[in-house]
Amino acid sequence: MLKTTLAGLRAHKLRLLLTGLAITLGVGFIAGTFVLTDTMEKGVDKKFAKSADKVDVAVLPKGSSGPSDSTEGQLPAALLEKIRALPGVTEAQGAVRGDAPLVGKDGKVVGDMPTVGLSVPGGRLQRYELDKGRVPAGPNEAVVDTKTAEREGFTVGQAITVLDGKRTPHRFTLVGIADFGIDPDAGYRGAVGFDPATATRMTGSTTYEEIDVAGGGLDAVTRAAGGSYDVVTGAQLGDRLAKSAGADMKVIRNGLLIFGLVSLVVSALVIYNTFSILIAQRMREMALLRCVGATRRQIFGSVLTESAVVGFVGSLTGLIAGLGLGGGALALFNALGAGIPTAAVTLAPRTIVVGLLVGVVVTVVSALLPARAATRIAPIAALRTDLEPGSGRFRLGWPRTVLSALLGLGGLGLGVFGALVMAKGQAAMFTVAVSGGLVFLAVITLMPALVRPLGRLAGAIPARLGGVPGRLAVENARRSPRRTATTTIALTIGVGLMSLFAVVAASGKATTDAQLDKQFPVDYQLTTQFSGGDAGDEPVPRALTAVLRNVPQVASVTELRTKETLVGGTEERVGSVTPSSLGTVLKPEFATGSLADLRPGTVAVDQETAKGRGLRAGQTVQVKTRQGNVPLKVIGTFGTDAPVTPFLVTEADFNRYFAARDPEMIFVNAKEGAASKGARTAVENAAQPYPTVKVISSAELREQFSKAIDMVLMIFGGLLGLAIIIALFGIANTLTLSVVERTRESALLRALGITKRQLRRMLSVEAFVMAVMGAFTGVVLGVAFGWAATTAMAASAVFALPWLQVIGFMVLAGLAGMVAAVLPARRAAKASIVESLAHD
Amino acid sequence: MTSTYASPPAGGSALATPAVVATEVSKVYGTGDAAVHALRGVSVGFAKGAFTAIMGPSGSGKSTLMHCLAGLDTVSGGKVMLGDSEVTGLNDKQLTLLRRERIGFIFQAFNLLPTLTAEQNILLPLELSGRKLHQQWFDQVVEVVGLRDRLGHRPNELSGGQQQRVACARALVSQPEVIFADEPTGNLDSRSGAEVLSFLRSSVREMGQTIVMVTHDPVAASYADRVVFLRDGLIVSELFQPTPDTVLDRLKGLEG
Repeated sequence: MLKTTLAGLRAHKLRLLLTGLAITLGVGFIAGTFVLTDTMEKGVDKKFAKSADKVDVAVLPKGSSGPSDSTEGQLPAALLEKIRALPGVTEAQGAVRGDAPLVGKDGKVVGDMPTVGLSVPGGRLQRYELDKGRVPAGPNEAVVDTKTAEREGFTVGQAITVLDGKRTPHRFTLVGIADFGIDPDAGYRGAVGFDPATATRMTGSTTYEEIDVAGGGLDAVTRAAGGSYDVVTGAQLGDRLAKSAGADMKVIRNGLLIFGLVSLVVSALVIYNTFSILIAQRMREMALLRCVGATRRQIFGSVLTESAVVGFVGSLTGLIAGLGLGGGALALFNALGAGIPTAAVTLAPRTIVVGLLVGVVVTVVSALLPARAATRIAPIAALRTDLEPGSGRFRLGWPRTVLSALLGLGGLGLGVFGALVMAKGQAAMFTVAVSGGLVFLAVITLMPALVRPLGRLAGAIPARLGGVPGRLAVENARRSPRRTATTTIALTIGVGLMSLFAVVAASGKATTDAQLDKQFPVDYQLTTQFSGGDAGDEPVPRALTAVLRNVPQVASVTELRTKETLVGGTEERVGSVTPSSLGTVLKPEFATGSLADLRPGTVAVDQETAKGRGLRAGQTVQVKTRQGNVPLKVIGTFGTDAPVTPFLVTEADFNRYFAARDPEMIFVNAKEGAASKGARTAVENAAQPYPTVKVISSAELREQFSKAIDMVLMIFGGLLGLAIIIALFGIANTLTLSVVERTRESALLRALGITKRQLRRMLSVEAFVMAVMGAFTGVVLGVAFGWAATTAMAASAVFALPWLQVIGFMVLAGLAGMVAAVLPARRAAKASIVESLAHD
Repeated sequence: MTSTYASPPAGGSALATPAVVATEVSKVYGTGDAAVHALRGVSVGFAKGAFTAIMGPSGSGKSTLMHCLAGLDTVSGGKVMLGDSEVTGLNDKQLTLLRRERIGFIFQAFNLLPTLTAEQNILLPLELSGRKLHQQWFDQVVEVVGLRDRLGHRPNELSGGQQQRVACARALVSQPEVIFADEPTGNLDSRSGAEVLSFLRSSVREMGQTIVMVTHDPVAASYADRVVFLRDGLIVSELFQPTPDTVLDRLKGLEG
């Protein structure tokens, strides 16, 4: 029996190839993910090992695993002196880390967070790689990291400005461009390196986060350090660093694997469909085998063996494809300037095992049902010239009806409950996700019954415009409901997820726009790089307010002052707003009480905080001030949309309680119309003397956010692209097999006067109709659950339908389907009429 | 009347103006030692308004001849004329249009598209060529083949005889210059076969249709006005006003 199976496979290499392609792509994605992350990991490991190799012994604070864990040194300077004095120690360096904001060419600090200041010692313990120039020496030299240098256009020899702990600018000569790649924090924020003494001076950090020692020996250093620090060898240090980076890699890998899984599900559908069609077409062959004495078990085994061989071959080519994909992605990232440390492309044994196993298992499992169907073929079928397989009107049996009704109604009910009834948040979103899964299963069970109506819908235009070939094509797409259903469902998955993401992304943008209108009710916002987290510790200089008020284009300047203090024993943010702007520029919406009640000696609280702390209008809270605890009467609660602090007092009170402070933020509104001309430049000029103060317009913020969302959407689209491509292969596959099946029918049409071009167009239209059916189903599901997810996310979420995108998906899917039809169509058109007429 | 001859001159034995004329048509499959000569220079004419049967033993080349006459297959040598058009000089697209507009077909089996109803199948050639339907003619054809109450059915809801009658109606409704029928009764029981054949004969007698039919059945051939006999790729004999017995005799003579 095995021989028969293998002979059959050899005789149908094309069949094997087509089926194998789906699994090749799926396994290729999985393998590519492993190859990419393994190679990256290896490159990083190598880099860490190389860096740590220079160190004989390292002293670290207890439990630290890498530079990212501590932003402030915890090793005292005295310890460094003690270690330096040890016999045998040739050199010891303390690693300094702190903020050292680099000023860009526009006179403003670089980036949204201050750049990191690091010590770069000369000599043996210099662990960073220099791309250009040399290590800094002396109080007037510095190096910056490669990415920042590129972005800001700094070159070796230029003068740069860096702010110290008191935000006083200092000039340095840029002597080198360094790769701080082993330091994730530096990679994220950008970094400036100085010699150790200068680093200490600039960052104001008097302790070290790590002491690197050359010579000395582990035991001696351990004794000197005492029990309160970790003392490790250079090799151990390398391992620690690699481990912390490995955790990041794991996140990337798991994220990618989820998309790989989607691709595999689609592959499984395509394989299932291909095998089902093949079994149906080979009904007579199977029946003949049964006639000559093959048992059902043997038939079953034969089909499974065939699938295992196909799965194995497909997985092998998938591994090769994965090598190419992984290596290619890495090269692409680095070409785009990601600066990933490279190593030789890695194919780990684990990748091979997982790839082959997943590929073979998915293929065999997908072939289980078709194999079972093959055992049902009666021997007598060999003698019948039967009707075309899989055709005819599809009837939902009652089990299918009940099942799909249960799944569909249950899923829909759950979705509505999650979106509309449940409290907004994660639990509701999870409910919506589960309901989405249920409804999708319902659609899978229902799909064969939906093929005819959907086909009429998707085919309405081609049937009307395409003449006879168009009408025949639409009929062909609808003639085998099960086959078409499975083919289209494969596409539904990719397009559905794509539209879901598109809807969530568009809604995200709409939501931010809506919130920005409330939270950013001004033209410009002036903040420092550092404000936000620790409110008020890095304020906007007060002097700027006065300057801004004198700018002719400016209509209003609003100060938001904040102070973190104890309210009723708990740390809270208390703040005030310029009185003339409260209620005009910033408009907190009062739920209870009103803004007019906010008078000296009172406080207004935002709703969330009030709810959390059980505060109501009329109650009194104790606020810690310069004068000690002051009792304040709560006069009302307001919504959280306005950008003010949870506890709001009058400006006069604020100044009395906490002394006059620099504002955390300044909001500027320009005058209307022509008077606002040049406002932006004027505001920026006013802020020019303050390098840490940044001017942001609401339009910029919107754009930044919109860009970030588009980026994420594009990445998701790229990753889902493979699932869509596999589904298109499925369409090509189904069509190819249908073409074989309809050889005589095509020949008849050709004899009756259909031209080759018309025959090709018929298949294109059929593919188009199938693709649009799949995409339409996907878009409907995606939009529905995009709405449910958005609604379940938050009360303030705004639903937006990116209808252009959604229609685009359908059109693109249709066109891609037509591309998928090119090869099968050529095959059909090439067939000789006379031979095909005689075809059995 | 029973004289045997290799190849009569073109149209020489026709009753009137020929609808289709083959001159020295040859067809070779394969090359070199593997070459098979299916037709070795056939010259024959088929008269307008006549019902001609092509007969011969298996492998005599009768189906190949029909395929070449109908523009379904290319010839290796010689010339085929349909009216005043040379079929042998046309490219694939021109051939397709020629078949669509000027030729009708009835095959042995698998004549109908399974996705279309009987009516849609009948109208297919007209719709393909974008010609107008003469409702009266359609009604007449449908009436004659007796399919009035079956028009909305799909092929799998029709019997074999009904399917062949739909095929006949399809061939007739576009009023082609010639209808080629390839073993039209090969898959039918004798009663349905007789129905289809008498219908074909009456379409020639009453509607003036030209029909060329390939068959190996002497009874089927006896419905024709004239029978030409092929053996080994050559026309070896012909017979006018055939009966089953005369046809059978002639066939026996060929095989002997």
